[in-house]
Amino acid sequence: MSKAASPMVVVCAGGGGVGKTTTSAALALALARKGRSTLIVTIDPARRLAGAMGVAITDEVTRVPLPAARGNLAALMPDPRRSLHTFAEQLFEDEPAAKARLLGNRLYLGLADAAAGVHELVAMNLVARAAAQGSFEVVVIDTAPSRHAIDFVTYPSRLAALLGGRTVTWLAGLAQRAALDVPSGKAPSGLLSWGTGHVEHLLARVTGPNLVSDTGALFGDLAVVRERFVDLTQHAADLLLGPRAAYALVTAPTAAGRDDVLYLAKRLEKLGRSARAVVINRADTQPAPYARALAGERGLSPAITLALTMLDEERASRASAADACAAELGKHLRGVPLVRLPYIEAIAPEAVVAALADELTSQLATLLPAVSR
Amino acid sequence: MLLVMGKGGVGKTTIAASLAALEAETRGEAIFVEFGDGESGRRALAGAQRNVKHVVIRPADALQRAATPLFGSTTMARLVLGNFAMKPLLRAAPAIRELSMLEVVRQIAADRPGVRVVVDMPATGHSVAWLRVPKQGRDFLGAGPLFELCDRIGRELVAPGKASILVVTLPERLVIEETLELCAAVVRETGLAVDRIIVNRVPVSMPREALDDARALAEGGGPLAAAAGELAAVLAARAALSAEGVASLEALARHDHGIWRVPLAPVDPSAKDVARWLRAEGAG
Repeated sequence: MSKAASPMVVVCAGGGGVGKTTTSAALALALARKGRSTLIVTIDPARRLAGAMGVAITDEVTRVPLPAARGNLAALMPDPRRSLHTFAEQLFEDEPAAKARLLGNRLYLGLADAAAGVHELVAMNLVARAAAQGSFEVVVIDTAPSRHAIDFVTYPSRLAALLGGRTVTWLAGLAQRAALDVPSGKAPSGLLSWGTGHVEHLLARVTGPNLVSDTGALFGDLAVVRERFVDLTQHAADLLLGPRAAYALVTAPTAAGRDDVLYLAKRLEKLGRSARAVVINRADTQPAPYARALAGERGLSPAITLALTMLDEERASRASAADACAAELGKHLRGVPLVRLPYIEAIAPEAVVAALADELTSQLATLLPAVSR
Repeated sequence: MLLVMGKGGVGKTTIAASLAALEAETRGEAIFVEFGDGESGRRALAGAQRNVKHVVIRPADALQRAATPLFGSTTMARLVLGNFAMKPLLRAAPAIRELSMLEVVRQIAADRPGVRVVVDMPATGHSVAWLRVPKQGRDFLGAGPLFELCDRIGRELVAPGKASILVVTLPERLVIEETLELCAAVVRETGLAVDRIIVNRVPVSMPREALDDARALAEGGGPLAAAAGELAAVLAARAALSAEGVASLEALARHDHGIWRVPLAPVDPSAKDVARWLRAEGAG
C-alpha cells in the first residue's frame, strides 16, 4: 500500500443513542456529493440504515446508489456474528488445516460474544484491504456505541504483544505437559521464572485440564501466524493512528452523551491524539422558518396553535440543554470546534441522513483531518 | 435481584437507577450495581440516592475479589494475577473478567439477603453472553474449583427465583424486533424468564386535528401555504412516530410480556420523574 494512496480517515465515536450512525452516514453522503470518493464503514451495523441505504450487511464493499451525485459512495457493513470466522480466514488464508482447528476450538468459539475488539479488528482489516484496492479519498468509520469504542485501535498491539510474548510459549508448554500428564512445576527453559512454575501449578489445579489444553492448542496455532497477524494489524493501526486520521466525537444534548464525549476525549489524549471536532445532534437554537412564519398569525385553528406551542416548547428545552452541553464541552475541550446540528423531523432514516448531509456540507473542513492536500 | 438489560442508548441506566430508588422507597433500602467507572450511575441516581447503596464494580477489583477464595488467600491470588504471563492472558481473555464480575454480584447479594439488588447490565449481546458464561464454564471445565465457581454463580444468580430480568426498549419497530430476539435468547440460553419489558420514550401525541388543519391551510394557497405545508410534514412525521409506537406496543403485547411505559421527555428526565412514571405503571 503506497503512502500516496492512503485515504483520509474520519472516526466517529460516541455513546449509544446519540445519532452517531446517522451522523456518520450523513457525513459520508455530504463528502460524496462534493465529489469525494468515500467509503462508509459501520462497525455495529443498524439494519434499518443499511436497508435505507440499499446496502447489505456483508464483508464486501457495496456501492451505494446515489442519484445525481458526482462522487461515489461505497459502504462496508461487516456482520459481527461472522467476525470470528472472518478473522480465522484472514489469519489462515494459506493454512486450511489450522483454520479448521481454530474454528473447532471450544475456547475460540467461546470468545465469540465476549471478545470485544475482534470484530473491530476484522472490520479494520477489511477496511485496510479496501483502502489498498480501491481509490477512496475518505473513509468514514462509525464505531460501536460505547465508551470503549476507540479502544480497538490499541487492540491489535495488545493481541500482538500477547502472541509475541512469553505467555504463548508458556501456554503452549503448559498444554503439552497437561496432555502428557507431566507434573507441572518445573519450567522447561530459562525463559520462565521459578515463580511461573508455582503459578502454573496453581492455575492447573483451579481450572482443570480442559481449559489448559484448549488454551494451549489455540495459542499454539496463533503463534504460528504471529507475523501475518502483526502485518495485518499494522495496516489497521497505520490507518487509525496516522496523521491522516481525525476523530469526530458525537453527542446529543444529554448529560450521558456529553460525559461519554469527555471520556472519549481523555482516551484519545492518552493515545496521543485529540478530537478534531465535537458534533452535537438535536441542537437547534432557532425555531424553524415555517414556525417563525406561522407564529403569532391570527386565524390559525386551535389545534394548529397548540401543536406549534408544543413543538416550540420541545425545541426550547432541547436548545437550552444543547447550550448547557456546548458550554460544558467548551470548558473542557478548549480549541475543539463544536458542530451543532438540528433535530430532523422525519421518520425515514434516509430522509434524516439527507437532511443532515445538507447541514454538514458547509462544515466538512471542520471534520476532515487537517492535512495538506 | 433485578437484572436490567437492553441495547445501548435506550436509557437503561436511568431506568435501573429509578427502579433502585423505587425499591428503596418501598422496602427501606436497595443496592444499585453498576459496571464501569460509576459516573453514569451517579448521574442517573442524582436526587434519588436516598437509601440506595451505589456499588461500582471495576474489572480489576472484581478479578481479585473473585480469585481470592479460589487460590486460598489474597496473597496467592495476587501472585497468580500479577504473574508476567497471566497479565496479558487475562487482558485478552474477556470471559474471565465477566465471570469475576458476576461472582462479585453474587457475593453482594449473598452478603445482604432480603435487600433488592438492581443490576445495570452491559448493553445487549454482551449481557446474554455474560449470563451464559457460568453455564458454558460448567460444561467446559467439568470439574475443579473454577467449575465450582461457575456452578455456584449458576445456582445463586442466573437461576429462576433468584433473578428477574427487565428489558428496556424503545417504541420503534426495529428496536422492538431486537428486543424480542433478546428475550428469546435470554429464555433459551439462561433458562431465566423475562419478567417485564419497559418501553422508554413513548412519544406524546400532537393534537389530533392539527395535521388535517395544516394540510387544509397548505392546500388553500395564500401567504401561509408553504409554512403550513412544512408544519404538515412535521406533524405527519410525528403521527407516523406515534403510530409506530402504538404498533410496537401491540406487537410486544402479543408476546405476552408484562409492559411498563415511560413517556418521552425532550431532555434528560430525572430518576425521580422516571420512578414516578414507573410507579404509575404499577412498579414498586
